[in-house]
Amino acid sequence: MKIRLLPAAIILLVLPLVLRATVDDALSFAYEAATPYVKQGYTFREDAWGGDLGVGDQKAVTAQLFRGNGYWFCLGTDADDATLTVHVYDSKGKLAESQNWQKGRFAAVLVNPKQTGTYYAIVEVKKSSQERTPWALVYGYR
Amino acid sequence: MRITIFGIASATAPRAVVLTAAATLLATTIRVRAESAPDQIDLSKFPAAAVQDVVVPVPSEVFNVLDKLGSPNWKGELRESLGKNSGNRAQVALLLGTVIAEGFIAVEAEDSERVKEIGRDVLDLSRAVGVEKAVVSRSKAIVDKADSRDWAGARRELDGALQDVRGAMNELNDEDLAQLVSLGGWVRGTEVLTSIVQKDYKPQRAELLHQPELLNYFDRRLDGMSPRLRKSGLVAQLKTMLDEIRPLIIEGEGRKISPQSVDRIHTVTSQMVLTITSSDA
Repeated sequence: MKIRLLPAAIILLVLPLVLRATVDDALSFAYEAATPYVKQGYTFREDAWGGDLGVGDQKAVTAQLFRGNGYWFCLGTDADDATLTVHVYDSKGKLAESQNWQKGRFAAVLVNPKQTGTYYAIVEVKKSSQERTPWALVYGYR
Repeated sequence: MRITIFGIASATAPRAVVLTAAATLLATTIRVRAESAPDQIDLSKFPAAAVQDVVVPVPSEVFNVLDKLGSPNWKGELRESLGKNSGNRAQVALLLGTVIAEGFIAVEAEDSERVKEIGRDVLDLSRAVGVEKAVVSRSKAIVDKADSRDWAGARRELDGALQDVRGAMNELNDEDLAQLVSLGGWVRGTEVLTSIVQKDYKPQRAELLHQPELLNYFDRRLDGMSPRLRKSGLVAQLKTMLDEIRPLIIEGEGRKISPQSVDRIHTVTSQMVLTITSSDA
């Protein structure tokens, strides 16, 4: 019994490490997407959101935004055939972005908040050959 | 650098080394406008498991707006003393948060000596809670950026120090302490925000206090702390403070945050900072 449980136990121990590695890779791509905005003077946070999603799944990430700042949210994945999107909504569910673009594993939106408060970035995996696609989302302000 | 995976602050991520190549790649990429998103969604359809917690803003996100709305006297907002380490780990974590927040104020004030002092203090306090290794290079970088008066760089390093400290605490299974670092920073940042708004009240400045989900997040985190910590005087005081602030920061439907509310929030956050920074906390 113990022998049968051992492989499962190893998988359980190793899985978070593998997931962490791929999300860390996704984070690298999210920062790639942010690079042009760093050059425009946006300060990107070291804190970030991340995880993995199946095709068609969505995740809402919560952000506190301040009127007067502009924010770029940049999304990335290390899955090279994946298509991801991100869109930002205010606390009443109204689309709040003023620009967006999507290019394969990268996507980004610009938000100039009309009010200070809670906003939600909706991350979605549109297409991917992987069962679970790692993603990471970073934001910068100016 | 901390990243939140499944709502659990955990991993320490290496910085990508491909940024330069990426800049070139993206500069030459024809951007494709994303397919149109619905103008309205029903946020209540997102189950709790499909929502990730808020990333706690750093003080400079608020200070950046205050700078656009006027010219605050940042030097006048600096504290004379950064506070004393009582040896109580919860107090040290909160104090560390207030000291990093002080670093952001010192950067706004362009006070290089103060920023350098804070860089060293961050290292001392991190040593006191066993996460010194995580911030050695950050501490040095803060001092170096202050020496070269690279204020944008100093801001980045302070943010990085915050994430590194919290990441190291999470790796030591000290998630509660990591949350207290964030809370300490938020309390000190809010004390300064209210101080500036008090001096020249404008509704748009007061609106910066409208942070309902952030307060709920802190509240949930305090509720989830170990029974020992929840019973401690500091955490109990933080709960009381949040309970008092929450009804004062509601905005919308014609309601604005009043000067009286700003005064009250300043009073309770100042009292909390005093408690955190005193050696008998």
